[in-house]
Amino acid sequence: MNFGLRPLGGEKLWVLLLLGPTLLGLVLGAFGSIFATLGLSFFRWDLLTTPEWVGFDNYLGLAGDRMFLRSLSNTLIFSLLYVPLTIVCAMAVALLLNRRIHGVGLFRTLYFLPVISSPTAVGLLWTWIFAQDHGVLNAMLGGIGIPPVRWLGPNMALYSVVVVNVWGAIGEGMIIFLAGLQAIPREQYEAAHIDGANAIQRLFYVTLPAMAPSLFFQAVLSTIHAFQAFDYIYILTRVGNGNSSVPTLVFSIYRNGFRFFRMGDATAQAIVLTAIIFLFTLVYFRIQRRWEVPA
Amino acid sequence: MIRIEPAPWESRWPDRLAMLVLLLGAIAMVGPFIWMLSTSLKLPEDQYAGGLIPPTLSFENYSKIFEIMPFQTLLWNSIKIALISTFGQLLTCSMAAFVFAIVKFPGRHALFVLLLVTLMVPQQITAIPQFILFKWLGLYGTQAPLYLPSFLGGAFGVFLMRQYFLTIPIELAEAARIDGASLMTIYWKIYLPLAKPALAAFAIFAFLFSWNDLFTALIYLPSDLDKTTLPVGLALFQVQFAGKWTIMMAAVLVSVAPIMVAFFIAQKHFIEGVALSGLK
Amino acid sequence: MRGKTRISLAALAAVTLLGAAAAQAETEITYQLWGSPQEGEVWQKVAQEFEAQHPDIKVKVEVNDWDSYWEKIRVLMAGGTPPDVFAMDAPLYPDWQSRGVLLNLQPYIDAEPGLLDDIYPITLEAYKTKDGYFGLPRDFQTIVLYYNKDMFDAAGVAYPNDSWTYDDFRKAAKALTKDTNGDGSIDQWGFWAEVVDPEPYWGAVVWSFGGDIVDIPHGKTLIGSDKAMQAWHFIADMWLEDKSMPTQEQLQQYGTDGFQAGIAAMGVSGHWSVPDYAPAKFKWAVAPVPKGPAGRVTGVNSAGFVIAKASKHPKEAWAFVKFAFGPTGQAELAKIGLAVPIRKSVAESPAYLEQTSAPIDHKLFIDALQYAHPKPVFRGYEEWSAAVGDALNSAWTGALGVDDAIAEAVQNGDEALAKNRQ
Repeated sequence: MNFGLRPLGGEKLWVLLLLGPTLLGLVLGAFGSIFATLGLSFFRWDLLTTPEWVGFDNYLGLAGDRMFLRSLSNTLIFSLLYVPLTIVCAMAVALLLNRRIHGVGLFRTLYFLPVISSPTAVGLLWTWIFAQDHGVLNAMLGGIGIPPVRWLGPNMALYSVVVVNVWGAIGEGMIIFLAGLQAIPREQYEAAHIDGANAIQRLFYVTLPAMAPSLFFQAVLSTIHAFQAFDYIYILTRVGNGNSSVPTLVFSIYRNGFRFFRMGDATAQAIVLTAIIFLFTLVYFRIQRRWEVPA
Repeated sequence: MIRIEPAPWESRWPDRLAMLVLLLGAIAMVGPFIWMLSTSLKLPEDQYAGGLIPPTLSFENYSKIFEIMPFQTLLWNSIKIALISTFGQLLTCSMAAFVFAIVKFPGRHALFVLLLVTLMVPQQITAIPQFILFKWLGLYGTQAPLYLPSFLGGAFGVFLMRQYFLTIPIELAEAARIDGASLMTIYWKIYLPLAKPALAAFAIFAFLFSWNDLFTALIYLPSDLDKTTLPVGLALFQVQFAGKWTIMMAAVLVSVAPIMVAFFIAQKHFIEGVALSGLK
Repeated sequence: MRGKTRISLAALAAVTLLGAAAAQAETEITYQLWGSPQEGEVWQKVAQEFEAQHPDIKVKVEVNDWDSYWEKIRVLMAGGTPPDVFAMDAPLYPDWQSRGVLLNLQPYIDAEPGLLDDIYPITLEAYKTKDGYFGLPRDFQTIVLYYNKDMFDAAGVAYPNDSWTYDDFRKAAKALTKDTNGDGSIDQWGFWAEVVDPEPYWGAVVWSFGGDIVDIPHGKTLIGSDKAMQAWHFIADMWLEDKSMPTQEQLQQYGTDGFQAGIAAMGVSGHWSVPDYAPAKFKWAVAPVPKGPAGRVTGVNSAGFVIAKASKHPKEAWAFVKFAFGPTGQAELAKIGLAVPIRKSVAESPAYLEQTSAPIDHKLFIDALQYAHPKPVFRGYEEWSAAVGDALNSAWTGALGVDDAIAEAVQNGDEALAKNRQ
């Protein structure tokens, strides 16, 4: 970052002005929020009475809070399924599209449709597809003799939700991977070809290493998405008393904070969520560094 | 953008098999939308009847949704909030991105990294302090909390725009500098016009993000149908019209359609925008 | 009072109803409540009659659905600008009262001798504290059995009557559960109830099997006692073994209220459902809830009025509460059939008994008071009911066995109670 222009004397003010909103956003939005959230997590506060200092009680309470633990485990399972599935599917589609066949543009458009569609709206659509007795999915299974599946029942709901989320995310990963694939110099393939590498070998020795930056970027992005997934899950798994049959951490934060007004519990959970995301990102960075050294 | 040329090693892959897999995948991607369209065109009493083809073609669901819910108000609210947010994001993100891309100042790198780190900060962590702040400002129950934050930049937009600004040869700016142009002139007269494709791509992102945002709208406008947005309306709709699938699918279609139309019109920019965000 | 959690649509939400144009000298007070837009209109009428008698006071009525209502009240309260008068659900009252945000109405009540004479005592119970009343009941709800006559006729099953036990009830429900169109999946169930909140169904079953819900002085959740477990097994057997109740996923395909959707032959609810069921395409009627081993028990709950301590116009607010609590206001409310008036003289008058909402036995709801237990009312109710409800949900979805789910419910419930003692 040594390129660029130096601001002239009076222009420093302009630079500040141009950066101003973003700086304010950093202070108020992200970092201010982290500190405020961290601070609130040491209080018990319901918005009505004066906040009461409780030290680490909110965090200690989480360890014995079964709803929280369920949310945490759901979130982890969800992420562990969602991230690899999204990456593998998106990569597969990108590899298939990165070739000389008709209608690539059309396929690209079709695969991208779920990405742009409102998850709330499409979530409703999926509840209809998943419906137990009259849903189209069970009707199709019935056609080949498979008994109806309770897609949103206790055993399947988590997986159904993963499927819908992956479905909604393949398009985005596909585009990013396609761009990465296009950027691989053809000479590398030619060289590998001359060396007698077959398709599979080319995939593992040419394509994937060259795709490492895109893969890394997508892994980080998907992980962040996974931990923050809300809309589809909210719509697909709502139950009677304002709970969800697959509560995730984000849902739990929402419910504690804005339905029960337990600001202390909600902020403690938000801090835990942030810590987990940071941890995962750190791990990715480590992996990326390892990957780069031998290559 | 994607140009595919024949090469000897590619033809080894069986193209037909690839085509078949892609087709199956495409059905999985688009099938739900076709099912939605088909259900929305059925009579309520036919909702479980027939397959993909409605026994009787009917548009009554579409007129009904506007009767039972102020759908046009929700649509308008969503459009309005999304447009204001998009404007705020385009303006403030391109401003900061410009500085990060071409202005030298001490601590630039550190600040940029700091900004990128905020990508990892979940929305939920900002939600509670923000809620308290907006309540304190007396803006709870108004639409302001849904668009005001868009005027404070954002890591994603700054990153995306900077990425594009970096592809513009710095010599252009330097030449303008020699001609006596100020930084503001360079930003406004040279960089912004040149960055139209990136602005277009980012605009769609920003619009989409606001349009689809259920979480924030649920917090600030959980039920006020005069002010709230389409996603909240749909969530309420889900409870009220549970089991009335034909009407529900019509409502879903109406709320998905504007974005789809916009996407078909601007898809070139959009896909480039996504690709841009993936470049390191 | 989850039964009232009707998410209101079409203006539903904030139907802000303004009266005549405001003159400068008038004092404006706000009254907020949860409910449907129709409920808002009725209250608007009450407010207009009040304004006619008090030309110097104007009442602004605002209605929201249940969830948004409570969020809004909290935020307004926290911001120091609460509505002057707002609706209260009895179980939540101790939470609000103990936070010191409600006005003590005792001095006002003392100034009006005989004000409480005509009121059903059981409805006053919930609002009494050692420092006096911080709220007054507005209306009450007793739970009765609703049945779909058409389905009973078609199946040749005799209508429910007041000698019914839970065993008769279960048998009838089983006989009424059918696959009417022969497509291989059940599409008519004998019974549907919301079994998360104690109010509509499970509280009554636990009581009539001889169990109880909570012991507040000792901070104990009692729903795991032997007698209560019999009640839970009764519910679970009917639901999960007989399958004469739809699962959540099955219900979702038809609506949120199984009786209203016309897929369940019987349901349990309070009077609040009458306006919802009135336009139904099928014929229906009401009967007392069945008898259990410990006799017939149903639940009663009341909604009330409270005045915010931060109100700038407490006198005007009290004048409005007194009016709505009085015979004129109560008679107006009786007519719409959303609840039963708390005033004996009104409840036992044609205004309530001969209301035009639906041609059913409205007296049954008053008679039910004789065998009704009040819904539990204690500090931390909301947290407790969410904690218990979450565990119950896992039983009804099949994620946990009934015994495990109740054990978890008791544990969750006790933790919630412990958090709210102090």
